[in-house]
Amino acid sequence: MNRLLTYLFRTALAAILAFITLPLVVVVAASFSPTSAVTFLPSEWTLQWYAALWDSRWLDPFLLSVELAVIVSLASGLLGVLGAYSVAYAKCPGHTAIMALLLSPMSVPQIVKGVAVVLFLSSIGLYDLLGTPGLVMAHIILTLPYVVRMAATAMFGFDKRLDRAARILGASVTQRIRYVLLPLIRSGLFSGMTFAFIISFNNIPLSVFLVRPGQTTLPITVINHLEYSLDPVLAAVNVASLLFILGAIILFEKIGGFSAQFHGGSK
Amino acid sequence: MTTIDIELLSVSKQFGANRIVDDISLAIPKGKFVSILGPSGCGKTTTLNMIAGFEAPSSGQIRIRGRDQEGVPPEARKIGLVFQNYALFPHMTVAQNVGFGLKMQGRPREEIADGVSRALKSVHLEGFEDRYPKELSGGQQQRVAVARAIAPSPSVLLLDEPLSNLDLKLREAMRVELKEIQEDLGMTFIYVTHDQEEAMAMSDRIIVMQGGVVAQEGAPADIYGSPRTSFVADFIGKSNILPASAEPGADRNLKVSLGAGKAVLTAARGDDVAPDNVRFCCIRPEAVRLAEAAGALDEPANRLTGTVQKVVNLGAYIEAWMLVDGGITLKSMIRSTRLEKLSAGCRVDLAIAHSAVQLLEQ
Repeated sequence: MNRLLTYLFRTALAAILAFITLPLVVVVAASFSPTSAVTFLPSEWTLQWYAALWDSRWLDPFLLSVELAVIVSLASGLLGVLGAYSVAYAKCPGHTAIMALLLSPMSVPQIVKGVAVVLFLSSIGLYDLLGTPGLVMAHIILTLPYVVRMAATAMFGFDKRLDRAARILGASVTQRIRYVLLPLIRSGLFSGMTFAFIISFNNIPLSVFLVRPGQTTLPITVINHLEYSLDPVLAAVNVASLLFILGAIILFEKIGGFSAQFHGGSK
Repeated sequence: MTTIDIELLSVSKQFGANRIVDDISLAIPKGKFVSILGPSGCGKTTTLNMIAGFEAPSSGQIRIRGRDQEGVPPEARKIGLVFQNYALFPHMTVAQNVGFGLKMQGRPREEIADGVSRALKSVHLEGFEDRYPKELSGGQQQRVAVARAIAPSPSVLLLDEPLSNLDLKLREAMRVELKEIQEDLGMTFIYVTHDQEEAMAMSDRIIVMQGGVVAQEGAPADIYGSPRTSFVADFIGKSNILPASAEPGADRNLKVSLGAGKAVLTAARGDDVAPDNVRFCCIRPEAVRLAEAAGALDEPANRLTGTVQKVVNLGAYIEAWMLVDGGITLKSMIRSTRLEKLSAGCRVDLAIAHSAVQLLEQ
């Protein structure tokens, strides 16, 4: 019986993994296809679609998306850690309500959020903020809950006796945050910021309301392109984005070390 | 003249309607090892937290080095604290942990390195500088915690049950070491514990707390030898505590009636107890001796006969329960060289020195 269950679970796991990875395999294969129709397992291989990416048509949106993702993850990281500190650590008055409010953007459909941001900006006469500034703001709203969530979880798990220990050793509140709290929640914070980065970089439903001609993010450019043609250049874009995101995750993990728990140092 | 390092003047602490610490006054002399001893809930940890500044007294005053500490936060009190769970910073090496206090004071790098190696040397942990706390045993973590607390050279070190997470052997070894460290540094140690053996082994002075008040304060030998209340007698060491009443007897001694008057003992008169106020009598088990062994006793003693009820061999000592005439049971601690003479049911002659019969008011 147990053996049967084990096999069942393994099969299920394999199916899930296949479901996740196979479409990626198809995309990767298609990106090397010489014909302009997307085909799986092409008979010949070419890099022409990757070469085609080296064009301002794709590069500009890519750079805007990167810029956005960097600004958004940093800003969310900063705001998120401040929010989590007052809510989860210092337990300011009404902290449970504030926490719910901070997390609420998670449960609002992004389309609704997008419309709301546009209406809000135009109603207060700041319609000009559409484009990059609006994108930054909207993406921060979108990603902040993830960072708050991760940072708050890390702070809930923080042993307050460490704060007392630092205190009796003469550390001021800023010293305690800098030398004790932040290093210990760093992995939580960085994993939240990684989420923020990826979410911002990949976002479509919110960005679609806020981009302007000449200020378009990469995913929106892909969508626009898709309206006219489905060709392997899109596969190439996807593969390139995938590699970029992978690189970003590795970089975040190098800085933040969020996969490593404190299992004895060697760091 | 001894100077006073820490002074508590009528300090109370209330949480809601709960009075955790009730009007206690203490003077802790500089350079002494002082233990605050009591069962859980007696207010000892709250007292420690008030001295450290983590909690403010509801009333009264705390003075450190002569200065009133009202409104002074813990980070400005310049005292050390060793936590029960050590509270080492897990992301820092041993050296970084120990150097933390000096670093927070903004000391130059060389001075920090100096202080770290000196502190590690006094806890015998040289060579562990680059380890992380998780890589150390409980005993080693304990030493790091002590080193971290003493590195900034505070004049007072508070220790909150620091040995309770260690196993017995290590605990006994650390007792000796802590005492040595304290003497070497000449630092005032305030040691909070519920373990009376620990307190007896290390302290110059013991403050016994019960229910938020100081039950007794004094040198370990005094507290053991002349407990003032049945609580102290019971908490410190083992003892026979029996309801008793007393009246003046011959030779300025007191006649003590036990077990509803069926047993009568003579007690040397203590100066501090009026016969009318006597409620309990305390006899330490080691004072209940076999008459033959007590033959050489050069002080007047009560002679009793009894029946051995139960014998427990503790190795160096045996513990025996004796039912003596008059229907009272006394616990006795006897050198185990006499084991062959004792077994349940046999009759024994006992001797209890007059001075060993202690009279208590409460």
